Amino acid sequence: MKHGIDHVRTEGCADGDEADADLAESSAGTEACRLNELEHHIAHAAHLLPSQGPISVFVHHNTLHPFEDLPFHAAVEQGLEIYGCQPYLAEDQYRAELARGRIRHDHLEQVLLEDLGERADDLIGFMGTRYHLWLAMLEHPLRFGTDAETRWLVAETDALKRFLAATPDVLRNRAVSRTRNLVLHRPESSAADADPQLTETIRQLLKQFVGDPGHRWSDSTWEAFTLQLLWQVCRHVVHSVPGQPRQVTLPIRHTRLLLLATGIDVETPVSELLVRCSAAFLDQGFAGWTLPGRERGFFHAFTALYRDSRPVAGWLRELPRELRRIEQAGLTPLESINESLRLLGVDRDEEENYLTRALLALRGWAGMLWQMETNAEWAVHPAPPGSLVEYLAVRLILERLALQYFARVLLPAGGDLTGLRSRLRSEIGHAPAATVEQRAFVLFQLAQLRGWAPAELQAQTLDERSRLVAEIEAFSSLHRRRIYHQAYERCYAHQALDAIAIHVARQPVPQQHRKTFQLVTCIDDREESFRRHVEEVDAACETYGAAGFYAVAMYYQGAGDAHFRPLCPAVVKPGHYVREEAAWSLEVSSRQRAETRRTIGTASHRWHLQSRTLWGGILTALFGSLASVPLITRILFPRLTARLTRLFDSLIQPPPVTELRLLRDGDPPGPENGGLGYTVDEMADCVQRVLEDIGLTHDFARLVILLGHGSGSLNNPHESAYNCGACSGGRGGPNARAFAEMANSPKVRLKLFERGLVLPESTFFVGGYHNTCDDDVTYFDLSRVPLSHRQEFETARDTIDEARGRNAVERCRRFESAPLELRPGEALEHVQARSEDLSQARPEYNHATNTLCLVGRRSRTRGLFLDRRAFLTDYDPTADDADHSVLARVLAAAVPVCAGISLEYYFSTVDVAGYGCGSKLPHNVVSLLGVMEGAAGDLRTGLSQQMVEIHEAMRILFVIETTPQAMQQVMDGNPVVGRLIANEWVQLAVLDPESSRLHVYRQGAFVPWRQETKDLPTTASSLDWCRGRRGHLGFASIVGASAPTEPARVTASREKSRPATAMGAHHVG
Amino acid sequence: MSVETLYHALGLTAAASPALLLAVFGLTMLFSRPLSEKAMERCTETAVLTGLASSIGILVLMLMTGERQVPVELGNWVAIPQEHFHFHLKLVFDRLSVPFVVLTFLLVGTTGAFANRYLHRETGYRRFFLLYAMFLMGMVVASLAGTIETLFLGWELVGLSSALLVAYFHDRPSPVLNGQRVWSVYRVADAAFLIAAVALHHVSGEGDFAGLMGTGAWPEGQAGLTSGQALFVGLLLLVAAAGKSALIPFSGWLPRAMEGPTPSSAIFYGALSVHLGTFLLLRVSAILELSFWLSAIVVLLGLATAVYGSLAARVQSDIKSGLAFSSLTQVGIITAEIGLGFRYLALVHMIGHACLRTLQLLRAPSLIRDYHNLENAIGEHLQPRPGLWERWLSPAIQRKLYRLAFERGGFDAVLQQYMVRPFLAFFQLCDRLERRWTDFLAGTTSRESDRIPTAPVAEGPE
Repeated sequence: MKHGIDHVRTEGCADGDEADADLAESSAGTEACRLNELEHHIAHAAHLLPSQGPISVFVHHNTLHPFEDLPFHAAVEQGLEIYGCQPYLAEDQYRAELARGRIRHDHLEQVLLEDLGERADDLIGFMGTRYHLWLAMLEHPLRFGTDAETRWLVAETDALKRFLAATPDVLRNRAVSRTRNLVLHRPESSAADADPQLTETIRQLLKQFVGDPGHRWSDSTWEAFTLQLLWQVCRHVVHSVPGQPRQVTLPIRHTRLLLLATGIDVETPVSELLVRCSAAFLDQGFAGWTLPGRERGFFHAFTALYRDSRPVAGWLRELPRELRRIEQAGLTPLESINESLRLLGVDRDEEENYLTRALLALRGWAGMLWQMETNAEWAVHPAPPGSLVEYLAVRLILERLALQYFARVLLPAGGDLTGLRSRLRSEIGHAPAATVEQRAFVLFQLAQLRGWAPAELQAQTLDERSRLVAEIEAFSSLHRRRIYHQAYERCYAHQALDAIAIHVARQPVPQQHRKTFQLVTCIDDREESFRRHVEEVDAACETYGAAGFYAVAMYYQGAGDAHFRPLCPAVVKPGHYVREEAAWSLEVSSRQRAETRRTIGTASHRWHLQSRTLWGGILTALFGSLASVPLITRILFPRLTARLTRLFDSLIQPPPVTELRLLRDGDPPGPENGGLGYTVDEMADCVQRVLEDIGLTHDFARLVILLGHGSGSLNNPHESAYNCGACSGGRGGPNARAFAEMANSPKVRLKLFERGLVLPESTFFVGGYHNTCDDDVTYFDLSRVPLSHRQEFETARDTIDEARGRNAVERCRRFESAPLELRPGEALEHVQARSEDLSQARPEYNHATNTLCLVGRRSRTRGLFLDRRAFLTDYDPTADDADHSVLARVLAAAVPVCAGISLEYYFSTVDVAGYGCGSKLPHNVVSLLGVMEGAAGDLRTGLSQQMVEIHEAMRILFVIETTPQAMQQVMDGNPVVGRLIANEWVQLAVLDPESSRLHVYRQGAFVPWRQETKDLPTTASSLDWCRGRRGHLGFASIVGASAPTEPARVTASREKSRPATAMGAHHVG
Repeated sequence: MSVETLYHALGLTAAASPALLLAVFGLTMLFSRPLSEKAMERCTETAVLTGLASSIGILVLMLMTGERQVPVELGNWVAIPQEHFHFHLKLVFDRLSVPFVVLTFLLVGTTGAFANRYLHRETGYRRFFLLYAMFLMGMVVASLAGTIETLFLGWELVGLSSALLVAYFHDRPSPVLNGQRVWSVYRVADAAFLIAAVALHHVSGEGDFAGLMGTGAWPEGQAGLTSGQALFVGLLLLVAAAGKSALIPFSGWLPRAMEGPTPSSAIFYGALSVHLGTFLLLRVSAILELSFWLSAIVVLLGLATAVYGSLAARVQSDIKSGLAFSSLTQVGIITAEIGLGFRYLALVHMIGHACLRTLQLLRAPSLIRDYHNLENAIGEHLQPRPGLWERWLSPAIQRKLYRLAFERGGFDAVLQQYMVRPFLAFFQLCDRLERRWTDFLAGTTSRESDRIPTAPVAEGPE
């Protein structure tokens, strides 16, 4: 932080107060200019805030999105500086991975060499090259402890008695025998003669050891003596090299400085008040009594609430007077910020930083204010524009008052805050620099591992010593973690790319055979195993992956829904409205049911509210003992309860036969009757788009099944995060249903025929919905399946049912509370129970463990076991045009979406408390917008510990079936995709469609892949491969026939796959 | 086997099963022989079921024999005859304690089953269940207590486990601070309780409720105190109850206690812990009858808390605080009912409220889904309907009321300003005096602890 040296001119504004003081006229202009500048700073800072919106519409995105302009490694360091969050896993975690072989030594070597480049071979005295020295620091479990830890190690462990376990015997023996020679033949030893310090050290040490070194000493005594001597020498060496003073950046804000200097915490009382205000201000309908005057803005509501209060708390006493003064002076929020900055003595050149830090102090709430202000016009209560500025104005006023109150002993008379910071800075004790012991201990460990004898070390000149010590200290913990991390990623990339290369070579040329059916699912990683199992059950079927909204970007209202909700990627604004309605013949019953639902809903809403009031509370509490029944059944018998509620729901939910209002004639699209649906042309666009994307333009099977997906679980505020990301956290069933209906329409087919896409008359499309939590699959509009196709459909459904069971088995192996030896039927029951259990914190693992994205023809990688870790996007390079326009549009969606998911998981894993939302156990739903910890904490964004606990933090690896040239062209054409790849936020490899050669993208160029292994295990089936194993599994080729390995096919599952059509509301209350 | 022996055996089992559970969990952790999640689950289940079965057994026996009060003696644990003091442990089963202990086993057991899955894989799983066992033991002992010192034993265990569970996530500062806050309020309540117990001993020579209330099973007992004694002791007990049940002016800790895992919040602050104060008042309700003023104060305090709680509950925008203040409202009403002498009503009210609130708190994370479903059923956005206040009162008064509720009555600030600060100031003064004195004696600075930096040290990024 610079301290008011000179002002920086920004944005072309005239400078400073004093220069313009004499020109009254221009001062108004200057003032406006200044305010503009402040507004600009705030808007800029707002982009650093978390961009997660309301939790009911959870969209995965890159946590460090604002830094995508920077290379990944630079960006995570920025994140450390700005948010104080960890860039990588902890060093101990990487060391553990190294120890268990998950990080390989050869990768560590490669990465370090690449990182050092030409600097690798610099010689560091007699110790070898920098590369060797740093490698030793990475390869061995060195301790870089605090001073206290070092002293404890030296005093209380046998660190000075035994060599490190990792020391090779040769080196240990050499060091001991040299010391022995040195001591026993001291007079002859020239080295010792040359160094009086060493001689003196030996003399002192000998006094501590009992007996005559000549005869009586055992080997272990000699070992201890050597180590003691080495330790002393290391201390001498380090002592002669002055340590680098620690670079400590003091915080910029007064409140943080006050905390550091005096331990007085001003932040907490200010935050608690602000949290309550923000929560009340943003409340979407939870509180029975809304904040008065909130429609007029945060600042106004706050002023109105407190302008004539008489606060008891000391620090708030001045608040009413201050608010009245501001009101009388007619200051706008922005002017008030300006004034506060002046009163706090913030210089112009640090203003932006100061305001940024002030906003980041409660970044969850500030971010939500910004989101509700800029990006939530659809919400029940969006925040008015300017809310963030107003919040900041209030925040600075409160901080000023709190500082004035709590720091009054430190302040000059009159409570002038301008000089407070310099006063505080001078009082902050400097962090102690690393002590000699602490620094020497690293050298001591390295000396053992590299076999440096005491005398050798001691013999170094001062220059050489400082070189050595500086070199060791230059390899910072952050740097080490970066190297570890790259090696960690590389190990997986090697396994993956080798496996793909081998598997692709093994894959037989796909034969033209009669296909039983074709299944299209979302590209989601959770559908990978599902597709694989379907393919294993029926070798004659084909599966495809497309973004799960199936190009049907719509506002959708189900038959039991109150409102339309968007079902399409968050970046797309839907242009169409679709409504589900009960079949005409059932309209009467539908209306009756809706009436019943409304009555029950109103009653339970009343009960809900009344139980929290005075009189209603008495009534509800007197009959509250009845609540023990649902309490006990829900918790102790969740499955029974779920079954009963389902039974009850089936009586009041919309009737089972419904239809979509899908066809629009000419009116402009809109939510009203005439505007609902798509025109034939628009339908043809949707169908054509998806079929071309996935390369399904010929060889249609007689039956094509499309499944949207979503996830249903109880007691889970993050439920929306488990749904389809391509439907902005909604459930994609209606999209698949709409698509199937469009594709079946003869008019649409005619249109498509005119465009050259021929859908055979014999092909029928069925839409469905896959619940990834309980692995249930429901199909829509089955009554429309032509008689000629029913047999085929039933066979396909049996295949899918079998696959559901196997998929559940594969999923269950990751749940610690599920036994490993489940059979498909039991596994299905287990996952169903998870989704119905009120006390289940892990209904499913969502995208956890995701790490790959394959874009290309499924036939190339079919039969490769990918462990539910890969997004599978289908794309046929042979059918693409010369401009690669299909690839460009596939990647325009797939890269940002998959990168967003991967990076959100990455950051929430490396720092679950900072980037993630911590443990979900204490979460408290607030304002119907998000979760916070406790009753007055910051709003928590990101993923919870329970969601990421099995995730491996890695950047996603894209493997795209195309040529390097084509890929480069796509990257050049799409800045978003290009930036993510060039800045290494994702890893990239391309698989040549013709030659099947792999190229990886490294430092801006495609280089041929060097395959390390030649073998890839084979297995008869996925279930054989994962049987009895919990952790991450390696790759394997599945070569078995399609016959099921478990003779008993699932029977229990049939009952679940009822041909339900209504995707209605779930049970109420 | 005679009925007496059966009573004794069942009574002992009811109290011993949680004690055994606590011992097993505590000892295995103490000797670093941690149990597996599965084993802990089974132990908890067994202990709760055994306890529940034996208390229900006693209930059945009592109904069959028509007995209204069954004492189970555990003997004098400390006796100092010359001081006329004995620490007498005694359990009593009567119309108050049996329903309450059954409720305890039921709710704690259900919450245990919930927590067992909810806290799966959690690093603090064992710590949680240790505190859980401690809480169960405390609740059981407090509900069955036949002497005031037995009640105090249970009371303390409940307080300790509650405060530690608020601070369960001890790697973050705010749970720890709020845990300390809860703990310090509890200490004030404990102090009042202790003084009351000593006073009772002083007046009656023993803490036995039977001695205190004269003959007659609850709620018909007659206390053997004068009206003045009753007022004094009663007021102290009221302070104790107010601290434990978060009545005015101690209400501030209740929302702060929502830092722990959801199941512990549910069982402690929604259901059982918060009712322990009112349980105490019920237990000594005979005293209330003796003094009109005491009863009046209890009623007023209860009503004031209820009104305050319902106001505050209306403005909360987060579910847990909302439920905390709704609980408070009902606890206030229950207190008023006790003051008015409606004891059975209070008991029914308490039990019903505990069940309802536990269910609501355990379901709290479902809020968004529930609201969504309700919206779909009703067919429109759920909007708060303006309450009486909003319709009848002028905007200025409305704003005042809103502010009062929003500031949670300012009770925290009042306590801070007028109790904590003077208290701290006094002890800081003593500290300064002592330091001056010891420095003078030592001839130099005498405090080694001064050299340890207390403020956090500025840390760079690395």
